[in-house]
Amino acid sequence: MEGSLDNGANGAVLRVRDVRKSYRRRQVLRGVTLDLVPGQLVGIVGENGAGKSTLLRILVGDLTLDSGDVECRGVLGYCPQETVLHDAFTVEQHLRFFQVAYGLDSLHRAFELLEILRCADYRQARLGTLSGGTRQKLNLTLALMHDPQVLLLDEPYQGFDWETYLRFWELAATLRDQGCSILVVSHLAYDSARLDCLYRLDAGTLTAAERVTAAKGKDAP
Amino acid sequence: MKRWWSCYVTATRFALIEQARNRLALIILLFFIPVWTLLAYRLTASTPVPFFVRPAGQSLMVPANTLSQITGALQAIALIVGFMMFVATARSASFDRRLVQAGYPWLFLALAKVTSLVVIAAAVAGYTTAWMQLYWRPQQLVLLAASMFLGALIYGGIGIMLAAVLRTELAGMFLLIMISFIDVGVQNPIATPVAANPVLRGLPAYGAMQSAATSVELHLVPWSYLALGLCWAVATAAIGITAFMLRTRSRRTNTSIDLAGATAADDAVGGAVLAARRSSDH
Repeated sequence: MEGSLDNGANGAVLRVRDVRKSYRRRQVLRGVTLDLVPGQLVGIVGENGAGKSTLLRILVGDLTLDSGDVECRGVLGYCPQETVLHDAFTVEQHLRFFQVAYGLDSLHRAFELLEILRCADYRQARLGTLSGGTRQKLNLTLALMHDPQVLLLDEPYQGFDWETYLRFWELAATLRDQGCSILVVSHLAYDSARLDCLYRLDAGTLTAAERVTAAKGKDAP
Repeated sequence: MKRWWSCYVTATRFALIEQARNRLALIILLFFIPVWTLLAYRLTASTPVPFFVRPAGQSLMVPANTLSQITGALQAIALIVGFMMFVATARSASFDRRLVQAGYPWLFLALAKVTSLVVIAAAVAGYTTAWMQLYWRPQQLVLLAASMFLGALIYGGIGIMLAAVLRTELAGMFLLIMISFIDVGVQNPIATPVAANPVLRGLPAYGAMQSAATSVELHLVPWSYLALGLCWAVATAAIGITAFMLRTRSRRTNTSIDLAGATAADDAVGGAVLAARRSSDH
């Protein structure tokens, strides 16, 4: 069965139509269709190797698709699964570099995000000295600091402690309420009740999935 | 214009910070160059040996220890600068790609790499020449420094080029050693009697070596050999930068309406719009 989830929404900021992708003979995506409207928090779950990261990398233009159509309207933010950072630079130097990339006048929002994610104390710390969780916080901050309208997050809470995990969801809800469209990809459906929609990517196809609420302490990221 | 300048200055600043954080390379540079120039000079006899200086069109008798030091210095510079540029390019590959996706113009990241290469090459060449002239005085000190600078530029370019095709630092270092071993090694008349063979003209460091040899006893400025070395440097760096551009380019094939009024480059993640289309005739 092919995944063909079209919620029929007009004004979608992210429109994905019948996207197919193969790595040589192995078909990873078999016709994925998806719409993301403003102010929507959507999750995609799937087992390891299901093609979630491949889909996200296609959406940001990191990978070519074999066929299909992807259209994104709005400032895009992308948090890759692996922390793409530079060990030679400090946290603040990363922010300065991306400030120029995004063309931002100030780092006010970036510093605010560091506060929210509780890693403001590490601003002058070199990346090589940071824990995996703190690196992930910076990875996420770089995706959010320019106030994107479409946010694509690939396993964004990897390595977070429980408090930060909860703060992440609070932040996601705030952004959603402000009109940001968020697509969260994860291998497990933690706290999926926090999402507006949940899809499962299985055998290269996208299907609607049931949302569940995780109990505190039981489903730590 | 202001944004371009800001992009260039920021990228260059961070490229130099990145190099300054490569402690291993800096330690090797500080200690290896003086030790090697000393050993190459002191452990080789000062007996004059014939060396064919092509810019002068004649074979000159040059002290063996001077030639040994020149080739040794060129090889050390080649390895150190090649290693520094290889490591910097390879380690920042994914990060640079993310920056380009976020709207950073790849051209300025590439220019920053070239600028850092020029700065490093100048510093290493100056440092090496300063140590060499403690043992002997060339007729043209500036030409000797320029020859070392060219050698550093060429192997820095090779380092950038190798980083585009190799994945590990070990592989990069191994290839750099092998290339410089053949290139500089066979031009040393003490090690190889074929050092005057015209076939050597095709080697990367040939122009640098001939210029350095010219600086020992002649007042002639070998412009064509300096230009030959510069061509090698530009060619290797250009191949590396092209590979860098291909690696960091977006796979998007089309763009559509920008609803965001983004301030970053149009081709960027931060630049608001992406649309990728492929015909469905696969």
